[in-house]
This record gives sequence, structure tokens and C-alpha cells, in this order.
Amino acid sequence: MGMEKEKNLHRLQCSYASLDESFEISKESYRGQQYSHIYYARLNLMRSLLYSLVSNWKPFSPVCPVLELEEGKECVIIGTLYKHMKLKPRVLDEYSKEKSTIPLVKPHNFIHSDDYLILEDEKGRVKLGGNFISPSVYATGVVVALHGKESGAGDFLVLDVLEAGLPPQIDRPLKSREDKYVVFLSGLSIGRSNSNPLQFQLLIDHITGHLGDEMEQSIASQIVHVIIAGNSVEIPPGLLNGQNLASKDLSRIAEPIKELDIMLNQIAAGLPLDIMPGPNDPSNFALPQQPLHRCLFPGSSAYNTFRSCTNPHCFELDNVRFLGTAGQNVDDLDKYSEAKDKLEFMERTLRWRHLAPTAPNTLGCYPYTDKDPFLIDICPHVYFVGNQNKYETRIIKGSEGQLVRLICVPKFNETGVAVVLNLKDLECHALSFGTQLSS
Amino acid sequence: MNKGGRKRPPPPSQPSPSNPPKNQALNQEDDFVDEDVFLNETLISEDEESLILRDIEHRQALADRLAKWTRPPLSPDYLGQSRSVLFQQLEMDYVIGESHKELLPNSSGSAAIIRIFGVTKEGHSVCCNVHGFEPYFYISCPPGMRPDDISHFHQILEARMREANRNSNVGKLVRRIELVQKRSIMYYQQSDSHPFLKIVVALPTMVASCRGILDRGIQLDGLGMKTFMTYESNVLFTLRFMIDCNIVGGNWIELLAGKYKKTSKTLTYCQLEFDCLYSELISHTPEGEYSKMAPFRILSFDIECAGRKGHFPEPSHDPVIQIANLVTLQGEDQPLIRNVMTLKSCSPIVGVDVMSFDTEREVLLAWRDFIREADPDVIIGYNICKFDLPYLIERAATLKIVEFPFLGRIRNSRVRVKDTTFSSRQYGTRESKEVMIEGRVQFDLLQVMQRDYKLSSYSLNSVSAHFLSEQKEDVHHSIISDLQNGNPETRRRLAVYCLKDAYLPQRLLDKLMFIYNYVEMARVTGVPISFLLSRGQSIKVLSQLLRKAKQKNLVLPNAKQAGSEQGTFEGATVLEAKAGYYEKPIATLDFASLYPSIMMAYNLCYCTLVTPEDARKLNLPPESVNKTPSGETFVKSDLQKGILPEILEELLAARKRAKADLKEAKDPLEKAVLDGRQLALKISANSVYGFTGATVGQLPCLEISSSVTSYGRQMIEHTKKLVEDKFTTLNGYEHNAEVIYGDTDSVMVQFGISTVEEAMNLGREAAEYISGTFIKPIKLEFEKIYYPYLLISKKRYAGLFWTKPDNFDKMDTKGIETVRRDNCLLVKNLVTDCLHKILIDRDIPGAVQYVKNAISDLLMNRMDLSLLVITKGLTKTGDDYEVKAAHVELAERMRKRDAATAPNVGDRVPYVIIKAAKGAKAYERSEDPIYVLENNIPIDPHYYLENQISKPILRIFEPILKNASKDLLHGSHTRSISISTPSNSGIMKFATKQLTCIGCKALLRKEDHTLCSHCKGREAELYCKTVAQVSELEMLFGRLWTQCQECQGSLHQDVLCTSRDCPIFYRRKKAQKDMAEAKTQLDRWSF
Repeated sequence: MGMEKEKNLHRLQCSYASLDESFEISKESYRGQQYSHIYYARLNLMRSLLYSLVSNWKPFSPVCPVLELEEGKECVIIGTLYKHMKLKPRVLDEYSKEKSTIPLVKPHNFIHSDDYLILEDEKGRVKLGGNFISPSVYATGVVVALHGKESGAGDFLVLDVLEAGLPPQIDRPLKSREDKYVVFLSGLSIGRSNSNPLQFQLLIDHITGHLGDEMEQSIASQIVHVIIAGNSVEIPPGLLNGQNLASKDLSRIAEPIKELDIMLNQIAAGLPLDIMPGPNDPSNFALPQQPLHRCLFPGSSAYNTFRSCTNPHCFELDNVRFLGTAGQNVDDLDKYSEAKDKLEFMERTLRWRHLAPTAPNTLGCYPYTDKDPFLIDICPHVYFVGNQNKYETRIIKGSEGQLVRLICVPKFNETGVAVVLNLKDLECHALSFGTQLSS
Repeated sequence: MNKGGRKRPPPPSQPSPSNPPKNQALNQEDDFVDEDVFLNETLISEDEESLILRDIEHRQALADRLAKWTRPPLSPDYLGQSRSVLFQQLEMDYVIGESHKELLPNSSGSAAIIRIFGVTKEGHSVCCNVHGFEPYFYISCPPGMRPDDISHFHQILEARMREANRNSNVGKLVRRIELVQKRSIMYYQQSDSHPFLKIVVALPTMVASCRGILDRGIQLDGLGMKTFMTYESNVLFTLRFMIDCNIVGGNWIELLAGKYKKTSKTLTYCQLEFDCLYSELISHTPEGEYSKMAPFRILSFDIECAGRKGHFPEPSHDPVIQIANLVTLQGEDQPLIRNVMTLKSCSPIVGVDVMSFDTEREVLLAWRDFIREADPDVIIGYNICKFDLPYLIERAATLKIVEFPFLGRIRNSRVRVKDTTFSSRQYGTRESKEVMIEGRVQFDLLQVMQRDYKLSSYSLNSVSAHFLSEQKEDVHHSIISDLQNGNPETRRRLAVYCLKDAYLPQRLLDKLMFIYNYVEMARVTGVPISFLLSRGQSIKVLSQLLRKAKQKNLVLPNAKQAGSEQGTFEGATVLEAKAGYYEKPIATLDFASLYPSIMMAYNLCYCTLVTPEDARKLNLPPESVNKTPSGETFVKSDLQKGILPEILEELLAARKRAKADLKEAKDPLEKAVLDGRQLALKISANSVYGFTGATVGQLPCLEISSSVTSYGRQMIEHTKKLVEDKFTTLNGYEHNAEVIYGDTDSVMVQFGISTVEEAMNLGREAAEYISGTFIKPIKLEFEKIYYPYLLISKKRYAGLFWTKPDNFDKMDTKGIETVRRDNCLLVKNLVTDCLHKILIDRDIPGAVQYVKNAISDLLMNRMDLSLLVITKGLTKTGDDYEVKAAHVELAERMRKRDAATAPNVGDRVPYVIIKAAKGAKAYERSEDPIYVLENNIPIDPHYYLENQISKPILRIFEPILKNASKDLLHGSHTRSISISTPSNSGIMKFATKQLTCIGCKALLRKEDHTLCSHCKGREAELYCKTVAQVSELEMLFGRLWTQCQECQGSLHQDVLCTSRDCPIFYRRKKAQKDMAEAKTQLDRWSF
């Protein structure tokens, strides 16, 4: 650090507004409610939305409930898709006679050429036919409008599909401002046998301005926010399987968390930090995952810059709207449908206006009775998912001029990559940390 | 409404073992009696007919709707009778009507008319009235009877018959008596034939009454009182007809143009209805073109009834609210018709014709009209014979809808309902109602399942889970009424279930190839298809025997009474099992069709048996006879070829042919036919032996059956000796072979070598060597290797099954697969998983650890409750049981709690055993699993440990471990026990709840919510633990509830299913409750 030209670098600030309220379930409880309500709520909202679009899309076709289909008559039906999947693992299989002899064909993806789609509204369902709608693209839980007619065999021959499309977007504030950076991190997996503490320490030193020359420090000073998108710790497997534990083992549970607290302490002392829970974190399993408990972070939680958030997480920084998850929504779609890359899944969820359509079917979620919190009613400017295999990003444009930055945040533990986003122009780059000693 | 166990009126669900009241049970077996049905009596009067017709006019709208389902119209050449009619016959019966004047100009009065119902290959329905075939039987002609004497005898018999049949308006009761040359099938006889009298009577039932007269004796001039042994007097008339015309069940029959006449008056709903003479029928052997199946119509249906709360639906009270129908053409995969008839409006269902009516009367009549229009040849369903059909008929009677029960093919002929008891040694006694629907074959899948498969439960749900791996949503009958009383949507929901219940039997039928297998069985054995389900095994053998005997000019005595005097005989042999866990390959040497081969090899038959007196008298050369190990004498085939061996040879040769053709066949339909045939042939060959041993059967002959088993025993012993003598180190083999076990027709050998391949070679060598020492066609085959092999005791073993050296085929278990219903699922899972670990993973320590973990889980109250549920059928009410039983007591207690949901007679009662006061009887400790879940009632882990788990587990481990019992059941893992506190017990009402520390269970001070001061420092770890539990439950909750959504086929509606047969039912309920508790626990942290 240059001693003579001592110049005070001030970290830039930005305004922050949390929009997580709809993901908080602290008041909710399990009173015997089932999952039908959440589908019902989803369908109701989406239908009124799609209904308004249908008049432009197919002005001459009537919209018809599934039960009132007549053979040969062209019409539009709106409902929730259900994908029948041959290879989908079922909890019932645990009880079948040959349970241990049949391995999963492909544990990472359950698509099969025999899969087919069904469209369902509150009253009935109909099997979809024809080549227009490809089962591999869609997943259970998506609400769409379909144009077509009932064929003789009781199938609905699909001639056209209408998705809701990108939701409306609030205008992004004018560009004419200074560079401000947001850092995305995920998959620290502290506590995993192969985790490398140095990598993370380097990252911390970088963003807190303890690394590099003045030039670098001045860049660091422009970092205004850090988002940790899930899977920060990994508790050794076998410790939490319900068997009674000796107290020595019990304390091992908390070790990774203590380490995390120490690391986060360093960040929180310097700049605002949002931490989201992921599937491996000590949080609940079902979406929305609730904020990691403060008692886990006795050190960092003392700072008001430290925020423990829900997953999914929605917030605004200088009026730029962010929406993101720890990755479960996209990973689940990847198991039950197909796309060329993860970004495409992200794009689809936006077009379907639903963050996690496969919840509750294959993705655990809280059984809401009155709403579906995963519906996306306002288009974010930045949409990120954590814990992906590699860093990918793209900007997509909506039909009404919406611009969305999509980001796949890679697992830091495996790639050493963090993602940096410039709030000014939504430009994005990777920040890579390597600790190999050889050149 | 096919809820299998639930709604079935008391079924003796498992065939009761054969021993108890043997005579009674067996007397009823195959008590073949003809029942004359008089055509005129079954038809209703003209007035009534016009009433019904008028009614039909009123219903024209419906008729139009139904009309689209009628059969294809007849082509002109059919209408003009200018072509021959070729059809596959499916059902056959006879009625008594006026003798046909044109066809039979010489006779008059009543006569039996055989009606053959069938389908042409274009799908036209056919009813063929066959005239001129007369019932008859034989007696042996008393020596010295001359033609004059015969006519005299005729007069006396006629007179005696008159007395017995006073009301008959038939001209001549005994039509003719002919002198014929025949021979009895019984015993070896040197002369070719003897004179017999063939007595032809007017009507089929007169065979029995005439036989009675002759059995009791008849006064003859010059001969005094004389009784006669009758021959073939117990053959059913239709079967007699089929045998004499060479017709076998389900074959194709042809009538050339000009040889048949259109009936003068249409009496049936068939498209082609004609009269002909029996001699004009051309019966085609089911081969080549004629082995195909006609496109006959199969109706699968199901009804729903709205029961009152707390009662099983009864036709006198509870309305039929829905009837779902599915009609499929044989050979097509998609149904032709799908419809549902509902009482009150019902929202539409895609692809299904929904017909709604305002009154029950309309629903029933619509169904009747539907049956008439769709005209099914085969009616299938689940428990239709005992429930659905009788219910419909009785319901119609209650509502006084006289025009309902016309479901048969005969116009204006009312269906008849009979109470029948079907008993057989093999299937036990079953009471049922028989609804006779003329011209349509009834095929109740429940009966078929009970016949063909041994399952732990026969509910439609568990059967379809077993064969189709599909769970069926089950709606409790108390909900059915609510759904019916709701709106069109809720009724639609009900209709969807109803349709599924109609669809599943069809799926089962397709999947298990029942049509092919049963039609082929009918063809092979020669009996009508309907006999296969309504009668026992022996008629199939009898039919073949009669056919063969006819060719050989032999007649079968009616030797019914002979059986009861004969004693029992020694059964099959079992070599003592050397229990143990064998880690070297065990070769299995099997006798291929042992009993049939023995009968063939030693020419065992009725007609080759030499009675002891004859043996002395005839002085047969010793080289021409076989003396069996049981001491009987049979002549060899050079003197007299037995007809049983001949039948068997033909069956086995035909099976070989069918198997060879099966290999060649490409067309899947053809394959299905051939596979069904080879199976039928195999079963038939094996049932011949049983026929001779059925002590009260049709023609028992214990000399044959005891000889067969004695030879069998000899062969097993012989094999054991040869193997152990030949495969020794002395003879240059690596090890001494050891026979470790032998059962009826197989011997297990340990050759001592350690690779599967070597064992296979030695096995083959042994099989070939030993086969050489037997008379053909007895053959020892090497089939498989067991490696490793766990032999527990006789008839109980498990092992990996190898037929090729590289890979095992499967895990094979006998006798230890605890499919017993009164075991809980835990036992079954434990046993299967342990065997898996022992045999496939070869991980004995792993298996031990697994059992220990499971026991620990059980004691620590961590066990999934659904694994502990025991289920028993409630067959009668509590008072009728002599001994108090757990499930009966529980049903009583549940009735006191809530009569609406309590199990009724016919339901299956699930229960768990709970912890109760010391000394409480087991039956007092049963409790409803749901109640247990809701009230945190502790289960009794020791009951499960001692009464359920211990025996089956020890059985497996005893051959493996030294101190199995001590290690597994009393180790350190059994030390800690956790019992939940019931929330409803008396004392709890007086207790105040106080929070305890989540970490150490210490009572908390008022200001603390979560942890005591001592545990504060461990906050993080304790929180992690709590949240991990929540997270695990959430995952389970999601998986279970979405599975049930999937099963019910709807995302937007709540799951209603209460199928207690479903493996996840209790788990789902438990997850729901646990989730709520865990969430509250977690909320304590949010301070």
C-alpha cells in the first residue's frame, strides 16, 4: 500500500430495500392443508393474466373449460400443465418388491421419450397430443394457454401455445451514474473435506480492500454489496440422520458455521452483505427457505450490514430490482426438462412468470393456502441463481422492452469464481481466485 | 365399486385348507348336475313384453345414443343365407323346447336344444340352435340278454321312469335302448369288448333320474331284482354334445350354406340366429387359421352405491348411483366404448360418454339397454359375480323395476340368480351368487385372481399395485355419499373413480393374458370357457379322458361311491434338509414333469391296472407287467397301452410343438395364443395325477396315484444315491458331492467346487448320467445353480438363481417370503432386505447391523408407523367370533367412537399393538393406526420384537450366526427405549405443560423459551439439529403429498384417498402431523 500518497478511499454506498416479505412464513403453520391450494391460487392469477392476452392472440377462438371441450371444435384452454414421466422416481417405489434391484436409469435427468403432457384446470384434465408442444421443454406446474381441438380419442390436439411472457418491468434508473459493483457468491461449502479456506480469504481480502495496489483498492471501494446465494456450509453427512449423538459429535455440527461466522464477520465489517440459505445450509428444506438463524452468527449478526435473507431473495439496490435463488428451481427443472443451458431454464421461468413451477410437485415447498409467492409479477433487472457448475450470463429482452440480466453464479468452492455486476450498466464479469502455487 | 376387501361380504378369503370336512367339501366338488330350463317358462308373457317395448319407445332419445355402439351390420350374403357361417363359439347351454318339425320330421314333443353363442370374424353375434342331439348313457348288458329282453327291459324302465317323472309331457321318456360293443376303462381286460346297452332318454335331467332307478335296482323277469352299474351317466349334456361332435371350448364352428335355417321366430338379440342339425356342424381343430380369436366384445364394468353412514351398502336400502362401462374388442388395445351412467347430473369427462339421469330407475334401465345394444360376449369386472351383478338385480327388485333383469341374449328371458356354493379341494369353499346371463360369459377377475395367484390381499387396489404397479385411489364409502350429494363436479369426481375401477380389470385382463390363457385352456381340455371358472380341476381331466375313451371305444364307469372307502396314501417325499448357509454353488437337478413322466414310463392307467385276483387268474408273464413300489401291478404297453399315458404324451408333445412355434412366432397376438396354450398344456398334464388321487372325485383310482408317488420317492432316493456314489474323490472328482436337500421333484447337490461354471458342468453331467438309468421319458434335467444358498428347513430356502455362468438371474425364495397377511410390513421389508444383503451383497455383518438398526429404531419409536400396521379381514360381527380377536375388538371400540367410519363386516381392519396396562390381553391392545397417530399413543415395541420380527429373522440368521438370538435381539442396541407420552390419557388432563430446554430437557424458567442457561452456548449446534429434523420432514411431506396428488390424477383438488392398503397412507398422515409439531418446535427459536 502506498504510504506517501495516502489517500482515503471511501466505499461507495447505495440504497437497499428488501422485498422478501412475501417469502417469509414465520406466521404460517401446518394445519393439515394440502398442495391443491397453491395450484389453485397459481391458476387463478395466471388465468386472468392469460385471458387478457388471448383476445389478441386468437381473437376468434372461444376460451373453454377443459370439461366443455367438444370433439373437433377449435378453442383455447387455459390450465396447469402436468407432465407424466415414466422415469420419475416415486416414493411408492420404496415399497415395491424389487426396490433394491432397479437402479435409477439416469439419476440426474428423468426425461423419457414416452413422457406426455396433460393440461388441467380446477375441474378436469385432458391429455395433450400433436407435435406442437414438446414435453421435454415444459414441466409440471406451468400455466399456459393452448389453442387446439379435441381429437376423437379424447386427446387435445395442440395447434399453438401461449405463455404469459416476461412480466412488466419498472424502468431502471438512468445510467448516468458512477460504477458500483455487486458481488455474487455461492457454494462456499465450508466444512466440506476439499474446501480451501485460502481461496475464500483471498476473496474477502479483495473485496474489503486488503489486497492489491491502489488501483485495485479503488475498484474494491466501488463494491457496494455482497450476495451469498446459498450453500455456505456443509455439515458432515451422517451427523444429522436422527440417531442420537454423542456431545462431541454434536459440537462438530457447529464447526463449519463458526468458521463461516468468522469469515462473514470480516465482510460485514466493511460492506453490506446478504446471505441466503441453500439446500445444504442449516435451514428448512422446503421453499421458500427461511433466513439462517441469527444464533448461528453470533459475530457477524452484530453488524447492521449483515442481513440474513430468504431464498428466493428479492431486493432493490439503488432501485435496480434483483431476484434470485440458491439454484434449486433451475436444478429441479434440469432434472425434469431439457434446455441447452441453465440460462435458458432461467429465461423460461421468467416467461412462465413463475420462479419455481416444479414446486410443489418435485421441489419441496410450503403448502400455501391463499397465494403462490413464486409468481413473478414484476420483472427483475437482475435474475440470478446460485450453485451452478459454471459461470454463465446473458441479457434477454422482453416484448415490451424489458431487459433482464441473467446470471448463473458458480459454486465458489469448486471453481473459485465469484461474479461481479456493475449496477450502472448491468455489465457482468467473473472474478477468479486461484491458489495453485505452481505458476 | 370394487374396493376388494372393503365392501366384500364375508369372504372366506383364503381357500380353507383341504383337510377339515373332507367328505362334505369333496362331495360337492364337481357334482355335475344338469338343470333343465324350459324355454317357455323363462320367457315372459306377451303383455309384459309389449309393456317393455312401449317403455323402450319412451326412451327413444337414449336409444339413439346407444345405437352408435351396435355391432357392424350384416352383409347381403349373410342376410340371404347364401354363404357358410363360421364363428368362434364362446358359450353354450341348452333349453327344452319343441322339437324342430322341419329338421326332425320324425320326432315330436319336448327336446333339448343346444344353443351355441359365438362371434364371426367380422364381429357378428351368432346364436346357433342345435337340434337332434339326445342325452344318453350306458349300462353293461347283463349276460344272456337277447333283443327281446332288451325291448322288455325298455318297457319296464319306461314305466319306472313314468312314475318318477309324472309331470312330464314328453311322449316317450326312454327313447331307445341300443346294444353296443364297448369296454369298461377299469382294469386290464384281455377281451376286446363286451355288450353294453346305450340308453337314450328324452331330456338331459332324465339321465340322472334313470341312473337313480338303475342304481337302486329294477325288477326283471327271470333275473329278479337287479342293480346296474351305469357308465358315463355323470357327463353334463353340453359336454356330452361337445365330446361327440369333437367341439372344444372356444373353437371355430362352421355351417355350410343350406345346412342351416333361419329361425322362424327371433328369440335372441343375436344378428345371426339359426337352427341346424347336430350332424351338420363342422368343428375345426384350433390350429393355424382356426387358432385365432374372433373380435368378440368384452365389457368391463363397475357400480357405485351410496351407502348409509356406518353400513355396508345393501340393495334393499342403498341406491346405485353410477355405473361405468368399458367395452373392448378382443385384440385391440384401445376400448371401443367408454361411458358412465350417473344418477343426477355430472360434469363431462373428456373421452367418456357421460349419461346422467334423474332417477335410479332410468340409470338401471339405461344400463339394461346399453347391454342390449353393445351386446358384450364376455362380461368382466372385479367381484361382479358376488357383488355388482346381484346388487343390480336385487336393487331393481327392491325398486320393483320388473323390466330390468333382461340382460341375456335371449329376448324376454329374465336372468336367474342362484345361490351357489363352490367347493373344491384346491380352492376351498366359496359361497356366491350366480347370476345366469344367457349367452354371455362372465369372467370375474377376483375369482380368477383367487384361483391363479397366491396374494396377501385380493383387493383391487393391492392386486393392481402388484401386477400393474399402480396404486388405486380409494374413497371411503362414507365419502361416496357426500360426493354424490354435492354438485356435478363432485359427482364427476366419483365417476372418474368408477371409471378407473372399470378400467383396471380390463388392464389386468390384458396384462395377464387371461383371455388367451383361458381360451387356450378351454381348447386344450375341451370344456366350455365358463366351466373353467365355475368348476374345479377334475372336469378338465374328465373331458379329456372321455374324449380319448370314445376314440378307444371305452366307457367310464360312474364310480362315485367307490372313493370314500379307500384310504389315503403316502404323499411325495422330501429328503431331509441339511440347514445351513452354503457359500459354494448348489446345483439343482429337476425331474421334468415328474408325475406325468412316471405315468408314461410305467404305463399307469385305469385300463392297465391288474386287480390282485386277475393277476393270479390271468397268469401274465412277469416281463409284461410292472410291479410298482406300492405293490400294484400294471401291464406294460405291449399288452395294453394306457390311455392316461397316451393323453399325457399328446399333451406334452403338443406343448413341445407350441413352444417351438412360440419361438418362431413373430406376431404378438399369435405369441400370446401359443404361450397361453403351452401353459394350459403344462397345467393339464400336471392335473391328471391329481384327478386319479381325488378320493371323492369323478373316477378316483388310488392304485395309480399311490404308485406314482411311490415311484417318485424311489427316484429321489435313487438320484441321491447315484450322485453321492459317483461324484467322489475316489472316482477322480475334486470333491465328494453331497445332496443337501431334495423335494418332490428336485434334488440339490453340493459338488464342492467353487465356481458356478464348474458346478454347471457337473450338474449337466450328473443329470445326463442319472437320466440314463431311468425308463424314458423320465428325465433328470439340470436347470439352475443356487449360489449362495441359504437353506433353512424343508420348503424354506433362499438363494441367488443362476442359469448362466456370468450373471445371476434373480433372487429366489421359497417359504420365507413372508407374504402372510397378519405380518406387518416391517417383517417383510426386514426379511427381504436382509436376504438381499446376505445373498447379493454378501455382507453378513451389514445384514446384522441392519437388523440391529431396525430394532433400535423400533425401540426408540422412530419406526414408520405404516410398517407396523397389521391387517385382518372382519368376516363377522364380534358376537359371532368364539375367540376374542384383536381386530374384532378394535372394530367394536371404533364403532363406539364413530359409527360412520368404523369398519364393517367385509372390511379389512388395520391395527397396531399399543402399550397398555400390564397383563392386558393382546386383543385389548389393538388400536386404530390413525387414532394412534393423532393421540401419540405409544406402540408396544416388545410385541413387535417378540411376536413379529423375532421368528422370521432368527430363521434366516440361525444357519449363519452362532448366537443369533442373543446377538440380534438382546444386544446393546436394545438398551435405550423411548416411549411417547399419550396426549389423551387420563392423567394428562391434570398436567400443566411446561417448556423444557431443547438441549437437555431441563425445565425452563419463565423468561426462557428455548434453552436453559446451561445450553445457551450450544445454541448453534442445537438449532442445526432442530432445523435438520424439520428439513427432513418437509422433504418427506412434499414427496408423500405430491405422490397422492399424482395418484388421484388432479393437482387442483384435495386428496381424499383413504386407501389403507396403500403403503404410504399412514406415512402421509404421520408426516402431516409431525410437520405441524416440528414447525412449532422450530418456532420456539424465533425469539
